[in-house]
Amino acid sequence: MIPKVAVLSGFGINCEMETIAVFEMAGAKADKIHVNKLVSRDINLEDYDIMAVPGGFSFGDHLGSGRLMGNRLRFGLREQVRNFVKSGKPVIGICNGFQVLVKMGLLPGDDDISFTQTASLALNDSGHYENRWVTLEFNSKSHCIWTKGMTRIRVPVRHGEGKFVTTDKKLLDAWSEAGQLVVKYVDPSSKYPSSSDKVLPYPISPNQSWRNIAGVCDPSGLVFGLMPHPEANHSTWLGATWTRENIEHGEGEGLQIFKNAVNYVTENF
Amino acid sequence: MATPENFVEVTIKEDTQLPDSRGKAIKEMLLMDHQINIGHVRVSLKYDITGDLSKSQLNKSVYELFADPIIEFATANSFLLDSREIFPQSPDLVIQVGFKPGVTDNAAHAALDGFNTLFPTLNGIDISCSKTYMFWGISSGVDPNDLAEKLYNPMIERVSISNKDMCLNRHWPKLDFPQRPTLVQQPSQTVNLEVTDEELIKISEKGLLALNLKEMKTIQENYRDPQVRSARKALGLPENAPTDAELECLAQTWSEHCSHKIFAAKIHHVDHETGEDVYIDSLFKTYIMKPTLDIQSKVDWLLSIFHDNSGVIAWNDSWSLCIKAETHNSPSALDPYGGAMTGIVGVNRDILGTGLGARPIANTDVFCFGPPDYSGRLPEGLFHPSRVFRGVHAGVRAGGNESGIPTINGAIVFDERYLGKPLVYCGTIGIMPRRLSDGRQSHSKTPQPGNIIYMVGGRVGSDGIHGATFSSLELTEDSPSSAVQIGDPITQKKMIDMILEARDLGLIQVITDNGAGGLSSSVGELAELTGGADLDLSAVPLKQPGLSKWEILVSESQERMTVGINSEDCEEFEKLAILHEVEATPVGKFTDSGAFVVRYGNETVAHLPISFLHDGCPQLQLESEWQTPHHNPILFPEADAIEMGQILSRLMARPNVASKEWWVRSYDHEVIAQSVIKPFCGINYDAPGDAAVIAPIQGNTQGAVISNGIVPRYSDIDSYAMAAASIDEALRNAVCVGVDLDLIAGLDNFCWPDPVESVKTPDGRYKLAQLVRANRALDEVCRAYNLPCISGKDSMKNDATLDGEKISVPPTLLFSLIGNHSDVRKAVSSDFKEVGDMIYLVGETHQELGASELAFMFRDESKGRSGIGGQVPQIDTSRNLSLYRSLTKAMSNELISSAHDCSDAGLAAAVAECCFGCNSGADLDISDLFNSDIKLDNWGALFGESLGRILVSIKPENSQIFEKLMEGHECNYLGTVKSDDNIRITSSKKMVLSASMSELRDSWKGTLNGGRD
Repeated sequence: MIPKVAVLSGFGINCEMETIAVFEMAGAKADKIHVNKLVSRDINLEDYDIMAVPGGFSFGDHLGSGRLMGNRLRFGLREQVRNFVKSGKPVIGICNGFQVLVKMGLLPGDDDISFTQTASLALNDSGHYENRWVTLEFNSKSHCIWTKGMTRIRVPVRHGEGKFVTTDKKLLDAWSEAGQLVVKYVDPSSKYPSSSDKVLPYPISPNQSWRNIAGVCDPSGLVFGLMPHPEANHSTWLGATWTRENIEHGEGEGLQIFKNAVNYVTENF
Repeated sequence: MATPENFVEVTIKEDTQLPDSRGKAIKEMLLMDHQINIGHVRVSLKYDITGDLSKSQLNKSVYELFADPIIEFATANSFLLDSREIFPQSPDLVIQVGFKPGVTDNAAHAALDGFNTLFPTLNGIDISCSKTYMFWGISSGVDPNDLAEKLYNPMIERVSISNKDMCLNRHWPKLDFPQRPTLVQQPSQTVNLEVTDEELIKISEKGLLALNLKEMKTIQENYRDPQVRSARKALGLPENAPTDAELECLAQTWSEHCSHKIFAAKIHHVDHETGEDVYIDSLFKTYIMKPTLDIQSKVDWLLSIFHDNSGVIAWNDSWSLCIKAETHNSPSALDPYGGAMTGIVGVNRDILGTGLGARPIANTDVFCFGPPDYSGRLPEGLFHPSRVFRGVHAGVRAGGNESGIPTINGAIVFDERYLGKPLVYCGTIGIMPRRLSDGRQSHSKTPQPGNIIYMVGGRVGSDGIHGATFSSLELTEDSPSSAVQIGDPITQKKMIDMILEARDLGLIQVITDNGAGGLSSSVGELAELTGGADLDLSAVPLKQPGLSKWEILVSESQERMTVGINSEDCEEFEKLAILHEVEATPVGKFTDSGAFVVRYGNETVAHLPISFLHDGCPQLQLESEWQTPHHNPILFPEADAIEMGQILSRLMARPNVASKEWWVRSYDHEVIAQSVIKPFCGINYDAPGDAAVIAPIQGNTQGAVISNGIVPRYSDIDSYAMAAASIDEALRNAVCVGVDLDLIAGLDNFCWPDPVESVKTPDGRYKLAQLVRANRALDEVCRAYNLPCISGKDSMKNDATLDGEKISVPPTLLFSLIGNHSDVRKAVSSDFKEVGDMIYLVGETHQELGASELAFMFRDESKGRSGIGGQVPQIDTSRNLSLYRSLTKAMSNELISSAHDCSDAGLAAAVAECCFGCNSGADLDISDLFNSDIKLDNWGALFGESLGRILVSIKPENSQIFEKLMEGHECNYLGTVKSDDNIRITSSKKMVLSASMSELRDSWKGTLNGGRD
């Protein structure tokens, strides 16, 4: 079977083209779907196997990044999204899409899928938007289906509000315990594995996220979101320093995330 | 003004792990730009809400909409500052800044949209947003009003201040809701032109029409024509005089901004050096259009040139690329943020309005500012260049990032003469399929009489009236604030999504953007294609009622496209608009009546024959006189190798050379996942790239190269050399990454001081001669490089008179290039790769230090005692092109490890930049360079800016084959990449320059660091 991916679009989402491309490179069939087509039920989310909320500047990031789009989904697509996740289908939010999933309460989320916000993404400590390359390390113990078998990748961050925070520090421990803290910024010169909770200096941690968190998953491991852009490194020639490296050109370091989801769906449905 | 019924205030829950980063950024900016040291700054946002809203609805909205429950505090209908829990200590100063009525408030629009999501049935709500800055620890010398001035722009914003006493008494700033004043629509006026010449000029000046006497008289003459009179009588229009709408429409269409009168002028050119005395009938036709048409007859890839919103080239069998750059200088001078933002989103619409609609995929921005550290007198009414810089940068950042279009390349140039008018060049590259699914070629418009005219996107307001004519005038204290706007990228993004879907469905017959001149220009221009149009202003959606008819016609309110649709497709088009939540309104239809007819319901307000509108403007007759300017010679100091190193270090710190990383990094340069050669390269991601390379089709390795060349300094000696150097720089940059030299196209973008001789411009003849010479360079160099100009723009009034003092920009040509890259996997970056790699300089070095960065540095350091005179770099196009061909061939054979353009501050600076990318040093021997020119000295060899030179490095094992490939060209082996921290340059066995790389890096990075990281 070829998994079908619903890649959301509209209202300032702007990474839909490369998100579609990366899923298709991973072996899926991806459609660009305007959020309003789901709200109006012209298109049924349940006809799809994977949902992706791409990066962008939905509603210009006014009133907090991802906030207004999160509300559109929370109020307009509540049951559709809940049923989608409950039926065991993977969801990914990248950058602005991650902000959307966090603000609507789907991430880090809860077993009941209650859409209660428990974390947020605050303005970077630098005080401004930045585009720079980072190294990410994945939590090998996480049950997140998107990151299975992955160790480290290099990808760009492109955000102003990417500092992962929460109100209750006990929650952090609980998420850590449950394997939900999936991916962290890491010093590229360190040996794998070496991810740590101590906040790394700028710009290794580009935003001074708590515990260097770059991305999290929900309790089921199906819903995953991250600030950096794995879809932006789908081919080797998009890397930051590929001209310095002796490489065989082909798949980029970010592609595996999408392959994992496609494989998961192929194996489980 | 109405008092809002409700308000919500929001601020961050500050603690040690969650700083108020907005506040810190303000604190940093005040310290860096204004040397004002504040203890602590906090920022909050206030949303004023008018309309019928229940208490429970208000309370629900607080944390469901306005504030983030995790990281923010919010209060409803009470001030945050009154909450001891949040602000235990009373501030020393509070400044609230909000927009003036009618100014685009994007945060408020977003909030209103969010409100509708929360309460879909609630009507009649309006929201405005303001910012409150709270200060603790202000030194006594700081005047609150003075501080406020740094934080707001009175042209578009209002301010309310609470000083220390007021704070102690808990009197917080309180701006009213920015209610637009009620407008009453004025009836159409008739403008009597049967008056004296002086009166005609007064009419033009008072109305900001920017029409000269001859043009006014041509209009006067038109209304004396008996045929015109009888036709008008039949239509019920005033017979012998234009309506206000007609005169405005003519003024827009004939403005310098829209019709490029100086480039179309007949010029009498005299050269006192050569004795030449000739007439040139249109610079544009002679030096820009003719060479491109000649090239077009030889190649098959020039699809659409000059006549559309951007130039289009065939990139491969399936896709074409288009490119356009524009300037937004005057608005950026008045409101740097809004002016620059409307610049970038405006040029994006030029791409969207090309052919049947192209997708914008990359932006390129080039700015010219006064020096950021300028400490001289600033004429009244001007912003300090550092503020212009920050504002322009922020505007382009917001416009580009929020639109999802990467900023892939650019430059920033500094010169004191940009104090009066900054130059803000915004360029965009677009892509479109060669053919649509219905078989139509997408680069050609297919309008038919009967097509319905739609206005799509934003609404029309009183903002942006007279932008086109205003930019055709010099800047004065009286420049109107209505010419300033703020862009709304999200409205535009929704529109772009919708338009491109409509294109792919085959719904679009014709499309153009609403920029300068608004509907009068967009509909007026498209009317030329079918031979007429009938526009009904009463159908146009307005931001506020009461606009006069002529104002609706010429308003330049942003984010609007004009689209022609077959009547049978209207329903589908409108359905698409509803899906995307975009406003699309039928406002008339295209006809073949021979006239542009403008109505307001049943009343005809303008009737302009197409031929008079587009061809009636009389040709200017201008005088041009060239006399070679005199400059004092450069005074070179005595300098040993260490001192030469220090001179290099000071050059690296010059704003023109210094790292722009802090600024460039806040542009998204990688959205769309196509960025192969990025603005930054090297091991630390901080070395400057040359040209950008993108691979726009996901997964495909064919690429496009985009580069820029700009060297206004050389105009001081010779604008011919300036233009030639700009073109060569753009091409050289493209060669550095491995461009396909058989598929390159250019864009010329002139920004000139007024070159028309007048009382205000006594040196107009010389400035025009500079323009003639720059155009001749464009003609000759583009022909030689087979580099056709496919589009361009000119901005000819870049002067500011303030306090009676005139500041003119140096004549500036931005040359932008787009080219093909056959295989991006073979693209080359500028950073040295490995210790031991061999370094070569290809191209000839001559003693060419005239108007060089070094010359300007010595001039500045000596307070003008040292001049900038000397030989300015000369071009040898055939030598350069053949070298570029050999070098790109070596690249496609994968022989080149790195390639970097040798330009500003010469070879020495280029070496340092290549080393930055490799954390390396280098040992070089430049003795061989002296073979090309017996006049060359060490200054010229190290810091000269001779054209046609590229610094390359190669692996030692490739040296033999590389040298063989470069036979017949000047190609000098200089030395190798070293692992240590030093650059050492010797000549004839003597050390001539020695410098520490870490010191060079510090100088290079220290100048333009925009703030805390």
